[in-house]
Amino acid sequence: MTLKSTFARITAKSTYWFLHDVLHRGGTSLPGKIAVAIDPNILQSIQKNFDLVIVTGTNGKTLTTALITRVLEAGGYTVITNPSGSNMIQGITGTLVTTKIKPSPNGKKPIAVLEVDEANVEKITASIAPKMFVLTNIFRDQLDRYGEIYTTYEKIIAGIKHAPQATVLANGDSPIFTRGDFSNERQFFGFNHISPEDYSPSAAPINTDGILSPTDHSVLNYDFMTYGNLGKYFSTTDSFARPALRYQVTSVDELTPKYSVFSIDNTPFRIEIGGLYNIYNALTAFAVGREFNVAPEQIKKAFESNAQIFGRQETINVDGKDVTIVLIKNPVGTNSVIDMMLTEKKDFSLLTLLNANYADGIDTSWIWDAEFEKLHDTNIKAIATGGERYQDLRVRLKMAGFSDQAIYEDLTQVIKAIKSFPTDKVYIAATYTAMLQLREQLGSAGYIKGGF
Amino acid sequence: MADYNISVAHLYGDLMNTYGDYGNIIALTYYAKQIDVNVNYHLVSLGDTFVDDTVDFALLGGGQDYEETIVAQDLVTKTEQLRRYIENGGPLLAICGGFQLLGHYMIMADGTKVNGIGVMDHYTTNMYQDDLTVLKGKRLTGNIVIKNNDTGETYHGFENHQGRTFLGQGERALGTVISGNGNNGMDNTEGVIYRNVYGSYFHGPIFTRNGNLAKRVLATALSRKYPDVDWHEKLTHIETETF
Ligand SMILES: [Zn+2]
Repeated sequence: MTLKSTFARITAKSTYWFLHDVLHRGGTSLPGKIAVAIDPNILQSIQKNFDLVIVTGTNGKTLTTALITRVLEAGGYTVITNPSGSNMIQGITGTLVTTKIKPSPNGKKPIAVLEVDEANVEKITASIAPKMFVLTNIFRDQLDRYGEIYTTYEKIIAGIKHAPQATVLANGDSPIFTRGDFSNERQFFGFNHISPEDYSPSAAPINTDGILSPTDHSVLNYDFMTYGNLGKYFSTTDSFARPALRYQVTSVDELTPKYSVFSIDNTPFRIEIGGLYNIYNALTAFAVGREFNVAPEQIKKAFESNAQIFGRQETINVDGKDVTIVLIKNPVGTNSVIDMMLTEKKDFSLLTLLNANYADGIDTSWIWDAEFEKLHDTNIKAIATGGERYQDLRVRLKMAGFSDQAIYEDLTQVIKAIKSFPTDKVYIAATYTAMLQLREQLGSAGYIKGGF
Repeated sequence: MADYNISVAHLYGDLMNTYGDYGNIIALTYYAKQIDVNVNYHLVSLGDTFVDDTVDFALLGGGQDYEETIVAQDLVTKTEQLRRYIENGGPLLAICGGFQLLGHYMIMADGTKVNGIGVMDHYTTNMYQDDLTVLKGKRLTGNIVIKNNDTGETYHGFENHQGRTFLGQGERALGTVISGNGNNGMDNTEGVIYRNVYGSYFHGPIFTRNGNLAKRVLATALSRKYPDVDWHEKLTHIETETF
C-alpha cells in the first residue's frame, strides 16, 4: 500500500468514525468521497485483501446480497458488505476503506459482497477486479429515468469487460443474460421444477418484455414460465434455448403469502416469506455459496437461522385486522404481488394506493400493464383505492371489472378505510411515497412505532 | 348477450407494449361490453399477415428501440395491407413508436435512422436535431393536456419521447397543446388525425383517460361494420371516464 493510499484510508476511517460515532450518522459515502479525492487508486491498493463479488440487477439486489453474506459466513468466510441503499461508487468505496477486515475463520480469503447499482458496475470494475458477477434479473423499471432493459444490460457488460477472469453467475431463466459478447466464464441458475410431460409450450403473454431471441430476433416460446419473462425459453426457428443450469430449483412444494417450501438441487428449503421472486433470491444465494464451496446443509442452516432477514413484508395489527403492506412500482412486481394473493387462503380486502412523485415514477401508465384482472381468481372480498392518483387506479380497477370500490382521496382516512373492510385480512399495495404517507398515518395513530 | 362483434388487431402487441398501450384495448372493450358488443382480440406479430378486410380496429403501440428496429423491418411486409386499411377508413390508434413508424422515418437517440412505412406523411427526427429551437437534447417527458380543434374536447395524458415528429400533407394534429410539449415542442401540435387514424405520444393510456375519444373510435369501427345501427346514440348513454 502506498503512503498516499494509507493516508486516504486513515482519513476515510476517521471521517467515518466522526460521522458514525460522534455525529451518529450512518453515512459511508462521505468517507468514500474523501478517500477517492486523496487517492483515486485507493480501491486498487486494497483489493488484494479480499475477493470481490458484485451483485447487480433490477430486483432483489438487497435481499440477495444479505442472503449471500449469511451463506458465506456460514461457510466460514469473513464477509464485508455494503449497507442497503449505498450501492453507488462513493458508498461502496466508503464501505471498503473503512471496514477492518479480519481473517476468515476457514483460512480462506475474506469476501466482499457488494450490491451495486447497474450504472455503477463499470465505475467499480475500472479500479478493482471482481472474482464474480452475480446477475439477478433486468426488468423494465420506470424507463423515464433508467432507460431500456438492453441499455441497462450494456452498462453491466461494460463493467464485466474490465474483468475477463471473473465468473458471471446469472439467472438463466432471463433470456437477456444469454446476450453480450464477453469472454468470461458463465454459469447459470434457474427453475427446473416442472417435468417435461407437464410442459405447455407457448409464447409469453403479450405484455411481457424482453422476449426476442438473441440469435435471429424471433419471438421466443417457453416450456413454462415463472414470472415476468423468466422461464424455460426456446427458439422456434433455430436451436437457441435456455442454457444448461448449474444450480436449479428442483421442486416447488408449497407457496403461501407467508412462507415457501421448495428444493434446490434436491435439498429441501423453507423460507419465511412468500413470493416466487424470493425463491429466486434464495436460489441466487445458494448458487454463490456453492461456487465458494459452502455445503448445501450449511446454506440451509444460514437461511433458517436468519429467518428475519426475509421478513420485509410487514404485518400490522389495526384493531384486530391483520394488515400486510406491500410495495408496488412496476408491472412485473405488481403481478408478483397479485400472484402471491392468489395463494392467500383467507378472505381478504385490498387497498391500493397510487402516487406519482419522483420516487414513485411520474408516469402512472404502468398500472395498465399489471394484470389486476387476475384478482378475480383470489379470495378478495372488497377493494378500495386511494393516493394522489386514485383516479387512475379507480378507472384501472373499474375496467378490470371491480365496479364497487370505496375511494379514499385523502390518506388521512386510511385507518378508517382499514376498519371499514369486511374481512380480518387486509392487504395494502402502495407506491413508494404513498407507503411513506401511509406509515406516517399508522405511526401517528400508534399502530406502528416511529412512523418509518 | 353480445349481438355484435368487432375484431381488434393488436399489431406487435408482444413487442410494442411499453407504458400500458394495451390499456387502450382494455378501455375499448370496457365500453363495447356495455352496448353488447363483443371484442375479439388478435395479435398480429412478426411474420403474421394483416388481413385488412377482417379488421375493425387496429392498435400499434410503442416499444423499446431494439424491438422497434425489429418491428420496422417486419412492418414493411404489411405496408400494402395497412395502406389499404387506412385509405378505406379503417380505425387505427398508433402510439409513440407506432405513430412514428407509420410515417417516413424516425431517428433514434443514437442517430440511427429507421425507415417507417410511409403510409402517412409525417417524419420524426431526434432530440439532437440542429434546427430544434426548444428543449434540444432533452426527452419530452411529463403530463400533457391538448384540445381537439374539431370537437373541442380536452385530452389528458403523459408524454415520454425523445423523437420530434413533424406533420405532413393531409395530416392535422389530434390536438393543440395546452400544456406540455407535443409532437416536437415547437409547433403546438400533438398527435395526428388522418382519415380514421389517430396517432399520439399520449401514454396514460389515451383511451383510458379520455373516454370520449375511445367511444368515438369505437362508434367509427362499429358504423363501418354495422351501418344500420346508430352507434353514437347508443354510446351517448354510457358513462364516460375522463380524468
Ligand atoms: Zn412514449
